Amino acid sequence: MQQHEIHHFLERYLRANQCEIVENGDGYLMTQLTVDMDKELMNRPFYWHYIENTGGTPAPMKLTFITKQTKETEKLKGERLHFGSPRLHQIFQSAQKRGSYIRLYENIQPSGQPFVPLQPWLGLNVKVSYQCDRKRDFLLSLGLHLISGTIIEQFQEQLQQLELTPKIPDYCFTITPLIKPQSGILRLEQYMKNMIQQDDHSWADEALKRWEEDLALLDRFYEETDEKPECYYIEKASLEEQYKPSIRVSIMNGGLFYLQPRPNVRK
Amino acid sequence: MKVEIEFDSAWKEGFLERLEQDGPWSSWDLYQLCLEVSKRLSVPDFYGLQAPNHLPHLTPLPHQLEVAKQVVEKMNGKAILADEVGLGKTIEAGLILKEYMIRGLVKKVLILVPASLVSQWVTELNEKFFIPAVQQKKSYVWEQCDVVVSSIDTAKKSPHREMIYQQNYDMIIIDEAHKLKNNKTKNYEFVQNLKKKFCLLLTATPIQNRIEEIFHLVSLLKPGHLGNAAYFTEKYGKMRSLHADEHLKALVNKVMIRNRRMDTGIEWSKRNVETIVIEFSEEERELYNAVQSLKNISFGNQFSLITMLREVCSSREALFVTLKNMLEKHDGEAPPYFNELIGKINAVTKNAKAEKALELIQSINDKVIIFTEYRATQLYLQWFLQQHGISSVPFRGGFKGGKKDWMKELFKNKVQVLIATEAGGEGINLQFCHHVINYDLPWNPMRLEQRIGRVHRLGQTNDVYIYNFAVKDTVEEHILKLLYEKIHLFERVIGELDDILAKMELHHFEDYLHDVFFNSRSEGEMKIKMENLTAMIDFADNLNKGGKTYAAT
Repeated sequence: MQQHEIHHFLERYLRANQCEIVENGDGYLMTQLTVDMDKELMNRPFYWHYIENTGGTPAPMKLTFITKQTKETEKLKGERLHFGSPRLHQIFQSAQKRGSYIRLYENIQPSGQPFVPLQPWLGLNVKVSYQCDRKRDFLLSLGLHLISGTIIEQFQEQLQQLELTPKIPDYCFTITPLIKPQSGILRLEQYMKNMIQQDDHSWADEALKRWEEDLALLDRFYEETDEKPECYYIEKASLEEQYKPSIRVSIMNGGLFYLQPRPNVRK
Repeated sequence: MKVEIEFDSAWKEGFLERLEQDGPWSSWDLYQLCLEVSKRLSVPDFYGLQAPNHLPHLTPLPHQLEVAKQVVEKMNGKAILADEVGLGKTIEAGLILKEYMIRGLVKKVLILVPASLVSQWVTELNEKFFIPAVQQKKSYVWEQCDVVVSSIDTAKKSPHREMIYQQNYDMIIIDEAHKLKNNKTKNYEFVQNLKKKFCLLLTATPIQNRIEEIFHLVSLLKPGHLGNAAYFTEKYGKMRSLHADEHLKALVNKVMIRNRRMDTGIEWSKRNVETIVIEFSEEERELYNAVQSLKNISFGNQFSLITMLREVCSSREALFVTLKNMLEKHDGEAPPYFNELIGKINAVTKNAKAEKALELIQSINDKVIIFTEYRATQLYLQWFLQQHGISSVPFRGGFKGGKKDWMKELFKNKVQVLIATEAGGEGINLQFCHHVINYDLPWNPMRLEQRIGRVHRLGQTNDVYIYNFAVKDTVEEHILKLLYEKIHLFERVIGELDDILAKMELHHFEDYLHDVFFNSRSEGEMKIKMENLTAMIDFADNLNKGGKTYAAT
């Protein structure tokens, strides 16, 4: 992540959380936190406890983030952020937590048609991790049409083309899902299962081979001992943890999207 | 093969709850930010290193990155890191640990190091790697903290031992692992019974004496890799060196990486060392003699007398502080020699060393660090230099982290001179400075080495100049000429001496020196004792060099 990308990210993060940006300079950002965000980021529960109990005037902090080393920012007092710095990581976590669940409607300009039906979609962004003694992740974005059961990939990209709003627009009405969201999730899980199973899993075969090799060495080490000592079993268990291949699917975020009927989606 | 697929249900529960309660829902902006973060934090490849992207302020050396890559990609996270001293094994271990943490493969970590290095490891992991390592101080730490640093002596004792065995560690790191060369020890047994999913053993001397040592070390890491004990003794037991058997060497190199200084291609900048002998002024000499003559009257302990002599060599202010403290101990009742010494202190009008330092600083016309043992001298020097238009900043071990950084910044950007009382292993790098004045000398070679190590370390591109001050015909000159110069202290690479002293098991170097100086009845006797000491160090040094040829290359 480049420094200017960090700057841009912070700007959007603060705005999305209603923090006023007092100054947005070259390589730095000054912001006035809201009470809510002070609690989220500043880790001072005792202060807030005190204020709330005494009815004092809350004074959320003002922060300066420095995203680039320049002559100007050198003199600034503030927190220098870079990819990997604990503060940025904290902000990442906060963004993940605050952006997990969503419900949006497609915004439609009123035209001749009096009432436009909006159809429900379940959208999920998912991280798939292949894990043994090594690890690799990839992301998937899937959309499930909760009427027809049609599943489309790269759903998020398509959403980004649309104008979306949190309130149902005038002259629109929503169609009730035929597929309940709960079973929708199951359908998408099944879809991903099939997808993943068709992938190349030589990584797992190789891990298994490494595991077997080390296990053979271990057995040889203790071959002359009749009763294996405890450390044999400890070591054996740790080899399993080290090498055993597994696949983990976790949902990063997702929600319901009510969209206009599209010609390419069968009803 | 068919791999189990596990679906994380955490999100699903939150979603169903929100459906029921009709919210709260995120904004579209936050939703997209969340996804962006997930993209940034996902690791796209089994291979390669992610850690350097997370540590932009750290510039690992090429051989350190290579080690980290090799351990992760080829050694499956179990390795003996056996670089020669001074090549940065801690950095390598930090990189590997960070890599596994970023990839989400390691969360719970146990780091076992010698007691004297615990806090240094904690600081380095926190500051250089942003790994929230914690020093084990209370027993709940084992359970509640994810990354714990402890000494092996603490860890192996009850109740710690039992608590550690209950934790599910993902990674174990052991520094100075050559202490585990003997499989009959309690330490060995303790480590053997630890669960080691990923494991790093750090040592500069994987083999010190016998070939079995490498067998025991490897068997901790990967039992069976070198066969079992019976097989190993039969096949290799008579060998003295790894070189003798290509097969064994190849096997060991599968689990051990050893870089040598000459292989790394790192050019060490030159170190120029100059001893500057200084003549006392007449008054200073009189003061020195007066202190020395206290030896003949029955005077407290030897320690304070020699300390006082060393103080005179530094500044009259340093001696004065000690005298004042002694007076307080006597409840204000001055011992008989007291007034005489105070009189002699008052008679001193100039400090010969300070004048020499001033002259030197003016001629250097570049950043200079002055090291002194005494705070009183530090204050005096700061005042003295100020009188001559040279501003300086003080530096003490006791400064809090922020103040240290501040002083360092001031020195880097604003003032010419930094006057430090403590080099400390506290990891401040002052590589932008190339001149060091040892205004007076510590009586512990390791501390002297640490001083030099502040500026002369890996990554220093300029030549470094070290000026050692010693007052003629004093204890100071003896220490410098009879000890430090004889053992080539100033020419050695940082870290070498540590190995030598460890081998000698000479723990109380300073006490030994005090004894030599105080209890020798003549200068001749003192010189002979010093020669014995340097001979011992030479011997250990040769042993070390001999020992190194046993190691795998």
